[in-house]
Amino acid sequence: MHSYCRTLIRGVALAGLVAAWLALAGTASAATQKPAPAKPVAVAADYAGQDTCLGCHEDKAAAIKAGPHARAFNPRTPAATSGCESCHGPGKAHAEAGGDKTKIQVISKLRPQAASELCTSCHDRKTHAFWAGSQHDSRNVGCTSCHSVHAPKGEKALLKAGSQSELCATCHRNIVNKQNRFNHMPVREGKMACSSCHNVHGSANLKLLKAGTTVDESCTSCHTEKRGPYLWEHAPVADSCVTCHDPHGSNNDRMLVAKQPFLCQRCHVTSRHPPTVYDGYLLQNSANGNKIYGRACVVCHQQIHGSNSPNGKAFLR
Amino acid sequence: MRNRITTLTAALVLASASMVMAQQKPADSTGAAAAPSFGSIDVGLRVTSASGDEARYERYRDLRNGVNVNFNFGKETAESLFSVKGKNVGYQDQSYDAKYANGKFKVIGFWDSIPLNYSYQTVTPWVEGAQGAFTLDPASRTAVQNKTAVGILCAPGLPASSTCSNPTTAALALSYPSIYRGIARPFDLTQRRDTYGASVDFAATPDLAVNAGFQSIKKTGHQPWGASFAFNVANELPAPLDTRTNDFTVGAEWTNNQAMLRVAYDYSKFSNPIKSLTWDNAVRATDTNPYDASGYSNGNGPAMGRMALWPDNSMSVFTTQGLYRLPAHTTLNGSLSFTTNKQNDGLIPWTTNSAINNPTVWATFPGLKALPRTSAEAEVQGVNAVLNFTSRPSRYVTFSARYRYNDHQNKTPIFDAVEYVRFDAVPEETGGETEQFGIKRDTMDLSATLNLPSMSSLKLQYIFDNVVRTGRAFSDMTDRTFRTSYDLLGTQLFTIRALYDHTQRRGSGFSESAIEDGGAQPGLRFYDEADRTRNRATLLFMVTPMEKLDVDVSFSSGKDTYNGEGHDFGLLNNKNTAFTLAANYTASPKSVFGASYGRDSYNAFQQSANANPSCTLNVPPCVPGTYDSWTDPNRVWNLTNDEKVNNFDLYADLLKVESHTDVHFGYTYSSSDNAFVHGGPRIQALRTNAILTPGDTAPCAAGVSSCFIPLPSVTNTWQRFTADARIEATKKIGFGLTYWYEKLDISDFATIDTNGSVGFAAATGTPRIDYLGSLTTGYGNRPYKGNTFFARVFYLF
Repeated sequence: MHSYCRTLIRGVALAGLVAAWLALAGTASAATQKPAPAKPVAVAADYAGQDTCLGCHEDKAAAIKAGPHARAFNPRTPAATSGCESCHGPGKAHAEAGGDKTKIQVISKLRPQAASELCTSCHDRKTHAFWAGSQHDSRNVGCTSCHSVHAPKGEKALLKAGSQSELCATCHRNIVNKQNRFNHMPVREGKMACSSCHNVHGSANLKLLKAGTTVDESCTSCHTEKRGPYLWEHAPVADSCVTCHDPHGSNNDRMLVAKQPFLCQRCHVTSRHPPTVYDGYLLQNSANGNKIYGRACVVCHQQIHGSNSPNGKAFLR
Repeated sequence: MRNRITTLTAALVLASASMVMAQQKPADSTGAAAAPSFGSIDVGLRVTSASGDEARYERYRDLRNGVNVNFNFGKETAESLFSVKGKNVGYQDQSYDAKYANGKFKVIGFWDSIPLNYSYQTVTPWVEGAQGAFTLDPASRTAVQNKTAVGILCAPGLPASSTCSNPTTAALALSYPSIYRGIARPFDLTQRRDTYGASVDFAATPDLAVNAGFQSIKKTGHQPWGASFAFNVANELPAPLDTRTNDFTVGAEWTNNQAMLRVAYDYSKFSNPIKSLTWDNAVRATDTNPYDASGYSNGNGPAMGRMALWPDNSMSVFTTQGLYRLPAHTTLNGSLSFTTNKQNDGLIPWTTNSAINNPTVWATFPGLKALPRTSAEAEVQGVNAVLNFTSRPSRYVTFSARYRYNDHQNKTPIFDAVEYVRFDAVPEETGGETEQFGIKRDTMDLSATLNLPSMSSLKLQYIFDNVVRTGRAFSDMTDRTFRTSYDLLGTQLFTIRALYDHTQRRGSGFSESAIEDGGAQPGLRFYDEADRTRNRATLLFMVTPMEKLDVDVSFSSGKDTYNGEGHDFGLLNNKNTAFTLAANYTASPKSVFGASYGRDSYNAFQQSANANPSCTLNVPPCVPGTYDSWTDPNRVWNLTNDEKVNNFDLYADLLKVESHTDVHFGYTYSSSDNAFVHGGPRIQALRTNAILTPGDTAPCAAGVSSCFIPLPSVTNTWQRFTADARIEATKKIGFGLTYWYEKLDISDFATIDTNGSVGFAAATGTPRIDYLGSLTTGYGNRPYKGNTFFARVFYLF
């Protein structure tokens, strides 16, 4: 009950914050809302038409025509609406002024958040619904940081680089380098990519994971045999896979964060064999060497992710 | 071979079909309706030669010699788009996808295969009859049981002194090869994941979209698996895989300029027809009868073992998500989902050991006569919610608030296994009841960002994360994080991104009995819930000194210190740092070069105690009033894991080198040196073979001056070189040549070659399956060298 009260209080506090903000924003808006000067509303007469744009910017045509923005059968694309001016705004004044850049929206000059607001005026659904306030948005990594409508290099998604790994390495190079570790997911083989696990546009899960709402739900969306629930559960497994595994790559077997038996010995400090000193002497001179070589601890405790056996107490069966 | 040809034929038929479909469509305005409007097909020959661990060279690929086909067709008109792709047609790693879209529908279909090649050097004496049932040669088992042959080194059988405890007995054991070595048969230890599925999106109206999807994942093959009978009778078998996961999803989304609302239902079902694994005991042909109370330790166990494999399970999720746009660049979005996970497979019996499954034993252990219940009845329910509020009321400031709630409620009824059977060998009363691990988490994340001139921003963030757990040592754990970041983007010359965060984790509701009831030292804390102080910092600096050159440098460092009261054992701290340096030079639009270097360092420190059970528990062998190793500080030891990783990349892209030739080169190097260094008073004692106090057992034979032997570092170096040339003979036809070279050098003490433990002994590259205390498949980490050459012809549409 105590924890429910705390949760309720936090929820009410958040709702109160939101309500207060709405009130303030509304008040501020009302307070600053002088009778608005007559702001010109863009009308069809303000638009130059795509042919006019391409008359000067012919070099932009090829990439646009090859990409998804040119698919006129999709009624939401620029090709089905106002062409170039769907994103860059009305261009008649810009064209009549001989290409005056102050009279057109130059997206590369916008602040990332402003550029992203432009893109998300259309790309605001499905996988993009959680963009606002997401990790990238909040660090000024906008749509144009990763995508190029006019000069994409990637095969898909108009990326600025030839592959997701190359693109993400711009900021996350030490993570991308982990695909070269001895044990890794099949990223460098081309079978997976960063977006196999992450939705970089924002998600309801931690760490921009795209499946589920917890780390475990994300991992077990593919590794379903470990989803359970099991009769006997291993506490750190029920909590988070990354307690023991490094999903980006590791030089330890099975992508563990440390080599066995030492990883297990971080938690199993009891008597008898768990805290035994597993050194070279045992490895070469004792049957207990089987806790060091091969599968180490899980040669016996194989059901380490959970057991459905009545005898599964120590995950032996 | 047959599968490859059939698949290749199917691919070509599909390609032909797409062309026929194009022909059947009304001609487009250019009159070229018969041909795809884009795409390519390339057909070539691949030749691979590899030495050493060839499976590791392939790993997730199929690089066999043969014809290699890739295709990509598509047609786009004013009304629709259709495309179909295929890669590595007919091989274990083939993949296909097809897409059709028009103004209303978008349909996607795919099939992808991913092999996982563990080893082509594995052998096993076990024979798999029915799936999951492994038997051994009866004569060999009888010989071992009768002590006329060696089954597992250091286990019951030959030699007469079957207990390995010092160099002399171990050398003796190693000189007697296992009888099973001679009858072990080679096999390829591999598995494959096949995923296929389809989805359809229908735009019912400009604002309303409906979608449905199906995906099926099948896993077949085998994977290495432990299956043991005692401390000195450990086995590794190739566990069979024949699982399938079917995922269904259906949803509807309504969106307009102001808001979005989505509802969805997802259902996933995992099925595994192989419910258990049974395997013969290599040292027993018959059940030890009567059972030996030390059978779990000395190997006097059953003739056969049985364990439960992955049970069928299901997951259903109902989700609703919404978004609402408010004035002042404000967005409110959120998600609420309800999850149910269920698993109700039938339980395997306590044991198949006839020496235990009888009324004589049941009289002493009545709980073993029947199971408390016959199926798992396992269930977890979840409620998960997230609410995000973000607002930019002026160009100078952004506010954000996020609340996350996760409730993982374990509803599985308790299962009483206080009386249970250990290793199928011994009935005991030292079992216990199953534990229900429940987790409830709520997280509040507040941030404010000042948007400064030159497209820079300073963000301040506070995160309060509270976790309530059941079944753990701490009932309540709270992380408080203060984070600040600075991003500078507005100059043409450079970009800076910096972040620092500090987290204090504090637990409450600590239960010492939760630690001690598990037989652990009272000073142990589990690092995933222990008090902790974390500091992390990252700095990324990108500079473009000239238009053709960009350089980026990054540095990151993090340290976790576990500094809670009474935290003496377990993981005590870890630290990691990473440095990267990269440069890209665009000499011309047709020639680009790049290089990068990365160095990572990981360091972790943990502490333990090598001691007998506490005398206060009156547990043998400790006699109350005599020496108590449990509390002796001289029994404490520690381990420092220190790993250094270097990564180096080079590339060169040369386009139109000879007017119609594109050439690409790439080189990647990755090395690791992973050291495990023991320290502390216990280790010092082992080095000197000193008798600490009366009652302590020296681990070494008398006369040996120093018996602690450090483990050698685990090292590996991986290199890959690729070269690719693409020559356009005409506008439509061209040739391609590709070469891959990979080399892995690795030394890992956990790999046992014919010479013994690699690192202590020189690697031979050939497994030894019979080593001290185990009979394995020989799977290990071994070096390789691989070369793959492609020559192909391509046609462009």
